[in-house]
Amino acid sequence: MSEAFQIMLWPLVACLVLPGLLIYLGLHIIRRGIIFVDLALAQVAALGTCVAVLLHHEAHDWQTFVWSGAFTFVGAAIFTLTRPRGHKVPQEALIGIVYVVAAAAGLLLLSRSPEGNEELRKTLVGDVLLIRPVEIAVTLGVFALVGLAHFIFRRQFMAISHAPENAAATSLKVWWWDFLFYALFGVVVTIIVHEFGVLLTFSFLIIPAVCSNLLVRTLAAQLAIGWLIAVLASSAGMVASYQLDLPTGAAIVVALGLALLLIGAALGLLHRRKKTSD
Amino acid sequence: MKTLKIILSLLLAGAALAADAKLNVVATTADFGAIAQAVGGENVNVTVLAKPTEDPHFVDAKPSYIVKLNRADALIEGGAELEVGWLPPLLDGSRNDKLAAGQPGHISIAEGLAMLEVPAELDRSKGDLHAKGNPHFMTDPESARHAAKKIAEGLCSVDAAHKDSYEKNLQAWLKLLDEKEAAWLKLLAPFAGTRVAAFHNSWPYFAHRFGLKMDLFLEPKPGIPPSPAQLGVVLETIKREHIKVIIIEPYQSKHMAATVAAQTGATVLDFAQYPGALKGTEGDYLALLDKLVTTLAAALAAK
Repeated sequence: MSEAFQIMLWPLVACLVLPGLLIYLGLHIIRRGIIFVDLALAQVAALGTCVAVLLHHEAHDWQTFVWSGAFTFVGAAIFTLTRPRGHKVPQEALIGIVYVVAAAAGLLLLSRSPEGNEELRKTLVGDVLLIRPVEIAVTLGVFALVGLAHFIFRRQFMAISHAPENAAATSLKVWWWDFLFYALFGVVVTIIVHEFGVLLTFSFLIIPAVCSNLLVRTLAAQLAIGWLIAVLASSAGMVASYQLDLPTGAAIVVALGLALLLIGAALGLLHRRKKTSD
Repeated sequence: MKTLKIILSLLLAGAALAADAKLNVVATTADFGAIAQAVGGENVNVTVLAKPTEDPHFVDAKPSYIVKLNRADALIEGGAELEVGWLPPLLDGSRNDKLAAGQPGHISIAEGLAMLEVPAELDRSKGDLHAKGNPHFMTDPESARHAAKKIAEGLCSVDAAHKDSYEKNLQAWLKLLDEKEAAWLKLLAPFAGTRVAAFHNSWPYFAHRFGLKMDLFLEPKPGIPPSPAQLGVVLETIKREHIKVIIIEPYQSKHMAATVAAQTGATVLDFAQYPGALKGTEGDYLALLDKLVTTLAAALAAK
């Protein structure tokens, strides 16, 4: 058992401390109804990395980091400008378009690089089992800054996510807070995909937030419940991964999915019983 | 007195057990694993991390890999950035000082090997895969000879008690390899200079050793589908030069190879770099090379 603990220690620490901010951001994007914006922003950031590589920087140079950051801001600007005013085109359609076009553009750019470079795309996607303490520390540092920004400006961020019409009426600069939201979100997603991989990042953002939306109403309760579900499901996923020797990230994703299934089934049963007793 | 006797016999039994315990050897890929088993014989327990059908650049890590590394007395890796994407963090996690770089338990085969395709100047922009040369060197029997010696050297320094056995096994295996290599060279000699199409550029060492030309690639840049012009050149070249064989590996797109083959009349031949990826080659490097050489010779001889 101590061996299991030793091996799973850092992945476990990562799954205890890092999902907190992801769940909070997940509550925002569910409220906004823009579920796939994380994947799109990560892809836009990856496009920036492709440009940097084409300019002969290495995947971990600071120039590469600047390029991918700059592209993330461009992505944030795109989503800010396309916030739906009429209802002709849902924003989710534009998010999907940004995702596929960014992915395809990256492919086109890399086809012009001398070696193609399959490796590059893999270096952008991490594996929670391989996470190192220093990576957890750096990620946590960035998350703390983003979390602080969200805490200080919580009134504004909440207003634009929950009731943008009212926010506009109260002379809040919706476009500015929107841009800031997407830019910070893009930074968080790019970093965490690098540590957790795409599937696990998406799951931590969406599944606990959906579960807690089903169960409770207030933000604090949703955060607490979401975090609890994330911790329980990641622990279960890690135990399964260790005992059955499965890839860790995928095991946690399935555990999160099962958690949602259980909660959904339990709520369904409760609802039915209530109806029959009425 | 009686207790002392029991303790003494227990201690002796423990010592005997320890002496009997096999050396735990972990190899990153099946080719090194096969040779380590041949050299180590009954004194080693060999575990291979990457599946033979898996691309060794991109291995899906599992918790058991860390356990295996934690319990290992020796690690055999290709080096030259072959496993750079996944092995270093696993080694960190294993907390096994015996496997640290520079320790006798850390056997890196690429060390001291003449590599092909080493970039003249270290410019990452010109191919940021393989800055130290192409690491797929084990398809050349000469590299296998180097690997076997390197492995024997490593095992001897980690486990000096069985030095004689390792050296004896090494000599026996090298002799087998000599015989086989002579036969392979003879079998492929009639096809010297023949051009063979491949999916990626993963066979320069094989081509170099056996005098073949393997410089036409279905997917010149790994992971990027070829442009129409590139595909056109491949199709046209295969037709014009009557290239008979397209070789593909387990993790490459059979679909594209089949399409090209259908349009040109060439044959798709299953090749693999790792023992066990082709049927009948499990745990046997010589059987794998045997299969590659004989099936290729047969395909090239066919009308």
